Amino acid sequence: MTDYTITTNTPSIVPEGEIQHGIVALRLTGIEKTFPGVRALKDVHLEVTAGEVHALVGENGAGKSTLMAVASGALMPDSGSVEIAGTLLSGASPDEARELGLAIVRQDPALLPELTVAENLAIGTGRTGRGGLGRAPKWAQEHLDPWQMGIDAKSRVSDLSVEQRFIVEIVKALALKPRVLILDEPTEHLNSEEVQRLFRRVRELTAASTAVVYISHRIPEVKEIADRVTVLRDGAVRGTFDADEVTEAKIIELVIGRALDTVFPPKTGVLGEPVLTVAGLGGRHFQDIDLTVRAGEIVGLAGVQGNGQADFIRALAGLEPASGSITIDGAAVRLGSNAAAARAGVVYVPSDRHGEGVFLPLTVGENIVMKTLRKVSRWGIIRDSRIAAIAREQIERQAIKTPSDRTPVASLSGGNQQKVVLARTLLAEPKVLLAEEPTQGVDAGARVDIYSILRGAADQGAAVVMLSSDGVELEGLCDRVLIMSRGSVVAEVEGDSVTEAEIARAALTSTAVRKRDGEGRSGSGRFRNWLRGDHSPAAVLGLIVVALALVVGSSNVFYFSPFNFNNLLFTAALMIIIGSAQQIVVLGSGFDLSVGPLLSFLVVIASFFVIDGGNIVIGIGLMIVAALLVGFVNGFLVTRFNLNPVVVTLAIALALQGTLFTLRGTPGGIITPVVTDLIFAKVGFVPIITIVAIGIALALEWALRRTRWGVELRAVGSRKDAAERLGIKANRVHLVSYMATSLLVMPAAVVLMSQIGIGDGRPGLSFTLTSVTVVVLAGASIFGGRGSFIGIIAAGILVAQVLSVPTFLGLSGAWGYWLPGVITVGAAVLYAQLRKIRRGA
Amino acid sequence: MSTTTPTVDPRWRRILGGGSSAIWYATILLFVVSPFIAGGSLSYSAIVGMLPFAAVLAIAAVGQTLVVQQRGLDLSVPAMMAFGAALASGLPQWFGWAPGLAIAAAIVLPGVAGLVNGIVVTRFGVMPLVATLGMNAILLGTVFAISNGTPAGSPQGLADFAKGKIGIVPTAFVVAVVVIVILGFLAQRSIVGRRLTAVGVSEPAAAAIGVRVTLYQTMAYAAAGATYGIASVLYTGYVTTPPLFFGDSYLLPTVAAVVLGGTALTGGRSALISTGIAALFLTQLGQLFRSVGWPEPLQLIAQAAVLLLVILLRAIVPGIVARRRRSAAVANVTA
Repeated sequence: MTDYTITTNTPSIVPEGEIQHGIVALRLTGIEKTFPGVRALKDVHLEVTAGEVHALVGENGAGKSTLMAVASGALMPDSGSVEIAGTLLSGASPDEARELGLAIVRQDPALLPELTVAENLAIGTGRTGRGGLGRAPKWAQEHLDPWQMGIDAKSRVSDLSVEQRFIVEIVKALALKPRVLILDEPTEHLNSEEVQRLFRRVRELTAASTAVVYISHRIPEVKEIADRVTVLRDGAVRGTFDADEVTEAKIIELVIGRALDTVFPPKTGVLGEPVLTVAGLGGRHFQDIDLTVRAGEIVGLAGVQGNGQADFIRALAGLEPASGSITIDGAAVRLGSNAAAARAGVVYVPSDRHGEGVFLPLTVGENIVMKTLRKVSRWGIIRDSRIAAIAREQIERQAIKTPSDRTPVASLSGGNQQKVVLARTLLAEPKVLLAEEPTQGVDAGARVDIYSILRGAADQGAAVVMLSSDGVELEGLCDRVLIMSRGSVVAEVEGDSVTEAEIARAALTSTAVRKRDGEGRSGSGRFRNWLRGDHSPAAVLGLIVVALALVVGSSNVFYFSPFNFNNLLFTAALMIIIGSAQQIVVLGSGFDLSVGPLLSFLVVIASFFVIDGGNIVIGIGLMIVAALLVGFVNGFLVTRFNLNPVVVTLAIALALQGTLFTLRGTPGGIITPVVTDLIFAKVGFVPIITIVAIGIALALEWALRRTRWGVELRAVGSRKDAAERLGIKANRVHLVSYMATSLLVMPAAVVLMSQIGIGDGRPGLSFTLTSVTVVVLAGASIFGGRGSFIGIIAAGILVAQVLSVPTFLGLSGAWGYWLPGVITVGAAVLYAQLRKIRRGA
Repeated sequence: MSTTTPTVDPRWRRILGGGSSAIWYATILLFVVSPFIAGGSLSYSAIVGMLPFAAVLAIAAVGQTLVVQQRGLDLSVPAMMAFGAALASGLPQWFGWAPGLAIAAAIVLPGVAGLVNGIVVTRFGVMPLVATLGMNAILLGTVFAISNGTPAGSPQGLADFAKGKIGIVPTAFVVAVVVIVILGFLAQRSIVGRRLTAVGVSEPAAAAIGVRVTLYQTMAYAAAGATYGIASVLYTGYVTTPPLFFGDSYLLPTVAAVVLGGTALTGGRSALISTGIAALFLTQLGQLFRSVGWPEPLQLIAQAAVLLLVILLRAIVPGIVARRRRSAAVANVTA
């Protein structure tokens, strides 16, 4: 708690007794920034003084986030300068800005989902050094508790709610004791009580003379917290005011401005029968919505971004699950099915044009007809001439600027891509047309065309629902506008009152409180936390091992003999080591198909040296060198050229196989008893090598949790882009993980060669599957970032046991394949379902 | 962003389904230089001996292409092939099935196994790699169970068919051409094919226009299974008594053929016909190595090297070309 009181350590140039209020902490001078086609920032000047809360308000796309990206060193301005605490920022460097004392809390937190809260805070504040990770949970908990969000420092970030994640991001920023703190839309995810808690903390900070930049849409909140307000519109500053001396109405007027220079098609006002009827629709982030849209009507959805509008419109398109009812032309539509919605005549124009709107590598023509393939085909066979004809007709009618209908759509401008999407939409003759931000990122000329296309569709009898964050466009186009806030419709404007000012007022003054789903869930018990942890699979596997032993043992008494236990544990040692090897690379979200052939390859190398009369030291040395080399080649090809790890390791696997069979076409070279006796040594019935294997796994587990290497490996596997944003060298971490994997195959090779006793390449090959089986059973997310080596120990023992089952029950050799295959797929399905349930909860 | 330039596809390329034109030239070049490296490698008997193997690989690789198009990778190819062969030869020999029925089973049942792969991947969210690796083990167990550890012989009729010739062309090759042309045509010209491409390019975009994404993805896996079945039936007939686990040597070549054919491992457009040509290339290359006396293990190394080389070139060349163009553009401006 005491960490926030910043003692002034800069030279005191202010009169004694006064802390540094009034000194300029952040100064932006003449900032210009142009993106292709848009002038995002126009000669922006901004001064934020120490000890003040300076609010930055403006609509979506006004340039607030761009400006803060410049201030935090994430974006290089075309001209102008950034000065933090009196020092000029020399270039676009987030690290330099951070060192100068600037911290930013983004709407999209740079958190690593598979790591714990404490680990995230440790990485974010550079506390991954000696002992830092050990102390991290206690330290983190102390910083989290004042927020009363019920966040356990040891829980995984992916298990946190959106608002909890946001608090973690704030705590991370505050732990850096910033001189300038930027909060980007901090209250979007918080309820009113949490907002008040945030405000109290902000006031504490400013009392300690931190400068706070507060970006928000919500004018009432801004009036409450800010000392000064700067309004940004279309990339230019429209004025800076003392918060006490400016009215809410004045701010709103400045925010929206008046630039109605766009031409809108006339509202015809001729409405037909109701087409779309929505009753009591609820889903993710929205609830209880009723709506009727008539033929020929355009209904707008407005509201501050992230208040459930997007989820609602996607639910109408069947792309998100929902409850309630949707009726089109009197017939009920199955909810949550995109195909059912499409059949009923719903056509959806998504806002994420590149991700969801167009098929980037496909041609303009292909994109235009993709939804109406039946119209260009006969007996299910497509006729290219029809595609070309329709495409050319649409290109002309919608004025799409493209060299030809066979141009890949990726090379068109945003506005023309959107026209392609609309052409496709109109061809489908929609009964219900859903458009999400149809003019986002579109130039002025294309906007006008898009407006008339939408109005034209309505005039043809479609019911149109349009989501937009542009008030001008809603006013100009819509017959009726619904304003949503925190998941509900809070206001509806119709007829002459559909004006930008009216819409903005309703949206900005809304104080609706978000209904939080699953409130109080965070207080889950210790047991559930443990279940979510990395170690729960180990315990479950342990139980299965015991149960299986009892079943098999009851039909064959010999099962419980020390001899069998010795055998079982010896095989388990091999499984644990090879599983640990695969686990390392999987944790970094890689994959290594070459472990089996590498194992064989090393055994073959050994069979030339580790024999009676051979030079054992050279042999062992060669095995280590070969393993490291293979790991390096794998890692180098994958990281340096960004190649698919599966294909690279598959090719290396086959190359290794070719090499080893060239070296030893038939088995040969008896492994010397000097080594095998050593490997077979035991304490009681427990082979020493098994103890060693378990020791290796435990050491890796410790390193994974407590060393910088381990945390970075999991960080990269969890979310590579966020890890890089936090300053981790992802490629190096990957490369090292491949080398570590290969190096671990070396001890496995020593065990295997002792077991088979001769230089034979065949037995090792199947260990690729075995290693994957062990990893999957251990419950590791095959997508990287999480898993435990304790789980590997349990899974290794289970696999060894399962492989011995056919012998004991007198089953055919086929079971030797079936069992590993079935348990691999079974475990993968089971864990995938568990993850789905967890996420859905 | 994307480096695609607004070029107009040549007509033949559209008809053949796009893909890499390099593999066509490479294949022609390989056949031209073959006689200089090993005399007689272009003789009638050498070609006729090579084509059935190329046919088997081509059909299997087309299946792999369908899976790669959906951003998967099918590691169950070895067991699928072994499974099909065990059914085609084992069912008549050990269980007294009519050969026709056994052959149908050898195509349908791998298709069912592919369907299961698809369901496990799409419905249950298991990574394709893990699902198909697991399926590989399960099918190998089944092969073991059917054959009881001993390979069976092909039914006489099938052997006669697969070893026969139509005119001077081996029947197996004709079968491959027919299968690949039909599949290539469907992939390129049918509604189903276009939707498969759409899903492969972008699942969210396909979902947004109302395509049933999981259904199409599952279908791709099932169709792949069926092609492995067809390939294995041909192989069974041609070699008469296929070794139990002969499929192991087909995994890497199918992946290599897909990559060489120009289908991106990141999914999207498939180039089925080019995959077939790549299979021909790889088989002839192997033949060439064999005729100059390289042992089998060295062939594995050569295949791996070709595959790595091609994916490396794919990764490096676009960057170099772009840099050239940029510097050329700069030169134009400054000139």
